[in-house]
Amino acid sequence: MKAIGARLPRYDGLGHVKGQTQYVDDVRVHGTLWVKALRSPHHSALIKSIDTSKAESMPGVFAIVTAKDVPKNVYGHLEALGVPADEPLIAEDDVRWKGQIVGAVAATTQEAAQAAVDAIEVAYEEREPVLDIRTAADPGADSFHQWGPIYPHFGPHNHRRVRKGDVDAAFDKADVIVEGVYRPQAIEHVPMETQTSLVVPEPSGRLTIYSCTQAMYFSMGVVAAHLGWPLNKLKFVGGTVGGGFGGKVDTATETICALLAIKSKRPVKWRFTREEEFLVSSTRAPWHVEIRDAVTNDGWILGRRMLTLHDSGAYSRFSPYGLTKHAFHHTGAYTIPNLRFDGFVIFTNRVPTTAMRGFGVTSVSLATEMHLSRVAKVIGMDPFELRLKNANRIGDTTGNRVVMHDPSTVPVTLAAAEAAGIELGADYRAMTSDRRTGDLLPEHLVDQQAPDGEHLMTYRGANGGGA
Amino acid sequence: MAKHRGRGFATIEYPTGMNQNGDPSQAWIKLKPDGRVDVFAGTVDIGQGSKTVHTQIVADALGVPYDWVTMDNTNTDSSAVCTGTFASRGTFIGGNAVRYAAEKAKERILDIASKELEIAPDDLEIVDGEVLAKGAPDRKISVPDVAGAATYVYGELITGNGTALKPLAEVDDDDGSVTAEPHSAISYAACVIDVEVDDETGETTVLKMLQVYDVGRAINPTLVEGQIEGGAMMGLGLGLLENCYPYYPSVEHRGEQFGSYLAPAMEDFPEIENVILENPSVDGPFGAKAIGEMANNAQPPAIAAAIHDAVGIWVTEMPATPERVLRALEAKSEPRRDGKRVIFDEEISVATLSADGGQAYWGVDA
Repeated sequence: MKAIGARLPRYDGLGHVKGQTQYVDDVRVHGTLWVKALRSPHHSALIKSIDTSKAESMPGVFAIVTAKDVPKNVYGHLEALGVPADEPLIAEDDVRWKGQIVGAVAATTQEAAQAAVDAIEVAYEEREPVLDIRTAADPGADSFHQWGPIYPHFGPHNHRRVRKGDVDAAFDKADVIVEGVYRPQAIEHVPMETQTSLVVPEPSGRLTIYSCTQAMYFSMGVVAAHLGWPLNKLKFVGGTVGGGFGGKVDTATETICALLAIKSKRPVKWRFTREEEFLVSSTRAPWHVEIRDAVTNDGWILGRRMLTLHDSGAYSRFSPYGLTKHAFHHTGAYTIPNLRFDGFVIFTNRVPTTAMRGFGVTSVSLATEMHLSRVAKVIGMDPFELRLKNANRIGDTTGNRVVMHDPSTVPVTLAAAEAAGIELGADYRAMTSDRRTGDLLPEHLVDQQAPDGEHLMTYRGANGGGA
Repeated sequence: MAKHRGRGFATIEYPTGMNQNGDPSQAWIKLKPDGRVDVFAGTVDIGQGSKTVHTQIVADALGVPYDWVTMDNTNTDSSAVCTGTFASRGTFIGGNAVRYAAEKAKERILDIASKELEIAPDDLEIVDGEVLAKGAPDRKISVPDVAGAATYVYGELITGNGTALKPLAEVDDDDGSVTAEPHSAISYAACVIDVEVDDETGETTVLKMLQVYDVGRAINPTLVEGQIEGGAMMGLGLGLLENCYPYYPSVEHRGEQFGSYLAPAMEDFPEIENVILENPSVDGPFGAKAIGEMANNAQPPAIAAAIHDAVGIWVTEMPATPERVLRALEAKSEPRRDGKRVIFDEEISVATLSADGGQAYWGVDA
């Protein structure tokens, strides 16, 4: 073995540092039109009418699209995972966030495209925006979303739930119940390369789509679904991206460029301005997390009750997936045997939120780790020792009943303490990830422990991986 | 008025691969007549270095020099399905796809070498671009000669394809239990952060980050360190600087330029010490687990704990801006005690703010 473990230089690093890598915006095709979008000026409003007639006759304008031009306007990115569609590619009857796309123009220059956008006449009837997830589900609260204020499709429930053990008994038995509220914020992805695509109609009838997507096949599926086309009529070209961080899992520009390229029969390019990237591209979600931990004076966490509200913005997009991932990791790197978790996806009139580095888990790591720091203070225990005591160990089960077979809570925590020069008790320094016995297997952790050797491993499927 | 130092700590875990699985990556490989290797995979390189890592995996899985391997991830005509670069799946799932493809191509190389050497394939190995008889390394044929023979003697194209797919794990909507492990692996990290808080300006400065990551196997330690340090800067942004809605839930005051949206810059870069642990995964390529996304998760809670250690306040609405630090210093609120309950942050809770005491959320059926 020679390459594995070697500090080899980045495969494409030289091109990056010498400015020679070709990104989407570097691809030049003769006769390309520019795209500008008409965007909602309101956080929430009904669309009473749209008139594009003036814009259509303006100089340099080749094509305009609105909702009626999209073969399948409402398509859900996660329909395959059972998340129904709620978001139109282009707004139809109402707008639900400031910046939502109402129409788009392809013209010979950016200025001509913008002038035509400005000439499209839209009549709106404004609504009071919904912005606070804590009050969005109050009795009698207004909702702009066809499903109401709360995403309703976690099977029969309007929330993602985890139930394990006997939470009430754990709270009765606890010496202390520590309660806290944590509010991780929305942030931008801030890629150097803004959302960009170039769509070229080929003589064969295919479309070549130069894209900065993080997921070529995923985005190709999205474009194909909106157009109602088979995959062999599309070719995505990409694979090299100037920063994504999750924001380019959204197929932000490709589908509208494709529609405009089909309509104009010309190559069409759309490059978000920096202002569009900051203000109307999707963000990391804001979250609201409430934790109640049932704790003993000697530092065992007997149970956890947790409530999470996820601000989805105006549509569901990837939020049900992110919340489920959040739920699956709500005990962090620790074993807590009695759990009750309820998580809700709430709709507000802000930019739809999306995937971002750590999706669903960044928020739960912030909340649960900050909470444990507080728990340690409340019971007067060293924060490293609290973590080590409750750490995942081989044979422990998560809230989802997944059996841990190679946890590393103990080694990373001990390595951090050692490197930081923190003195721990001898019994803590001697801890390992080994299966619990003796003092580390108190009565409350017995039932959660899986039989020796059992775990839910099913990798590689039936086909053995290839041919 | 003074500057106060404090230390905070966090341990985190993070899954490899899409939650609940069901996310394939596929790859295929062909050999040129001189034994050079073309890999076609759809994994998008967003700067994390997947092309480099996949090339390293193929080189060692085949047993050929790294610079014999060419990676093409440029388009959907020549590449098969990769679900995408997200969910920290590039090294593990994309890497397994190219590894499986290389293992299949290796079988074809050994079959043809077996004919040339008249030695059973099981008794052959590939080392450094040569097929050697195990235990008798002077009996050998080079991979270029094998590829040439395949092309011009046997009339065969040496290829291999691989699909990495862990089947979908179904979730019980009533209790959250799953029918199968809903991830490919779990990575772990711990982070110790030293800060200095100015109680006059409210400004927090991160002085040092000590970070420990278990990545299973560091396929390219330089790229792992790049992920750790790049992620640390994003974590610093989450902890101290960045916010789309500075007065959330208000949608006013959004930053629309780099000058008005504060992302971390090199001047914010603290002293960083990295420790990489290698507790190998059972299924990952050469034992690897993910490092990508988790790298910005441990810093925000460690920063919050360090601020508390420094000046005795808990900032629970992120980021810990000077304004929030100063307001918390002014309020100096203590948790309310009610029997054995110790209640922090009551004033921002659902129960306090909603019209019905949070019944819509806290009141769901057990």
